Amino acid sequence: MSHTAEMVSTFNNFYEISSVEVGQHFYWQLGSFQVHAQVLITSWIVIAILLSLAVLATRNLQTIPMGGQNFVEYVLEFIRDLTRTQIGEEEYRPWVPFIGTMFLFIFVSNWSGALFPWRVFELPNGELAAPTNDINTTVALALLTSVAYFYAGLHKKGLSYFGKYIQPTPVLLPINILEDFTKPLSLSFRLFGNILADELVVAVLISLVPLVVPIPMMFLGLFTSAIQALIFATLAAAYIGESMEGHH
Amino acid sequence: MENGTYFIISSNFWTIAGSFGLNTNLLETNLINLGVVLGLLVYFGKGVLSNLLNNRKLTILNTIQDAEERYKEATDKLNQARTRLQQAKQKADDIRINGLSQMEKEKQDLINAADEDSKRLEDSKNATIRFEKQRAIEQVRQQVSRLALERALETLKSRLNSELHLRMIDYHIGLLRAMESTIE
Repeated sequence: MSHTAEMVSTFNNFYEISSVEVGQHFYWQLGSFQVHAQVLITSWIVIAILLSLAVLATRNLQTIPMGGQNFVEYVLEFIRDLTRTQIGEEEYRPWVPFIGTMFLFIFVSNWSGALFPWRVFELPNGELAAPTNDINTTVALALLTSVAYFYAGLHKKGLSYFGKYIQPTPVLLPINILEDFTKPLSLSFRLFGNILADELVVAVLISLVPLVVPIPMMFLGLFTSAIQALIFATLAAAYIGESMEGHH
Repeated sequence: MENGTYFIISSNFWTIAGSFGLNTNLLETNLINLGVVLGLLVYFGKGVLSNLLNNRKLTILNTIQDAEERYKEATDKLNQARTRLQQAKQKADDIRINGLSQMEKEKQDLINAADEDSKRLEDSKNATIRFEKQRAIEQVRQQVSRLALERALETLKSRLNSELHLRMIDYHIGLLRAMESTIE
């Protein structure tokens, strides 16, 4: 009797240590929709970080930048360079805020997911992690990018924007139409897959060997998530630039 | 399920983990690894980042200093050019004033010379006129006196006889006597 009790309790303990919750979400009810509350909570935290960084670093602006102001100016120059390279010298200015927001949101959410001790806070269901590990977030970002480059093309060329579908030859019309669907698809799945996969690998490694072994994987995760943020922003800028070009 | 917006925690998915709370199991929450990762990140990243930011600040500082130096040089040159412009303008004014006064002087000189010339010509004209007038008067006088003498001679020739001649000689002797008495 006691043996089976021991076995059951160790089995329980074993089960508790090696629990990896995938696909479990913490739901809130909004009207007739269920939302993933853990994603909303972490998104809000990321937004709060970004806003406080912006507000705190731009108080008391000096001509010779110090500390925080220097840092955010550096980030702004980086984003501006990125946008200018992709969109071109004449019309990149209005798009810097959009690309900057994409880049910063994805970057901060990826790194916050990898660096914050989210597991300290237990939820009834699911766990806190990077907001971009949810397909809904990445699809939202990708759809925003789609809307952005459609708007860019239509704003610049009017209805003749749709002439680009038959551009090199009309034979490529189905491929061009397909491109409009694959662009947001690839953007969203690339980001989602990278972040979720990295999280899963780290989680599995932790559940297997909690101490030193996950560390290289965590560094790799930091690196690839930063690259993914850069890629998302660059591709978004490239799509916008591509839809605005050819006017001269 | 009512319409409208309200939050409830759906109770369809309760698991063993239970409710909200803090997980204090170090191994499970990965705190040690996170600590190591964050430590290494800060350690290496701080150096790189502060280097980058410092370089940026120095570049900005240098650029601003260069710009200010060039601004100062430019204002200096502008001031120098301005003073030179002033001097040149002054000199131009001087030359203009001198030229004007010189012009005036020469004009006056010419006018004076012309005046003198005209006066001289006037004088000589007047002198010539007077001279000619005198000559004319002289000629007329001579003519008149000649004519008078001729007439007198004619009258004398026509009416002279011994009696008249005698009377005239007596008259002249009387005149001479009167003159002699006056002289004495």
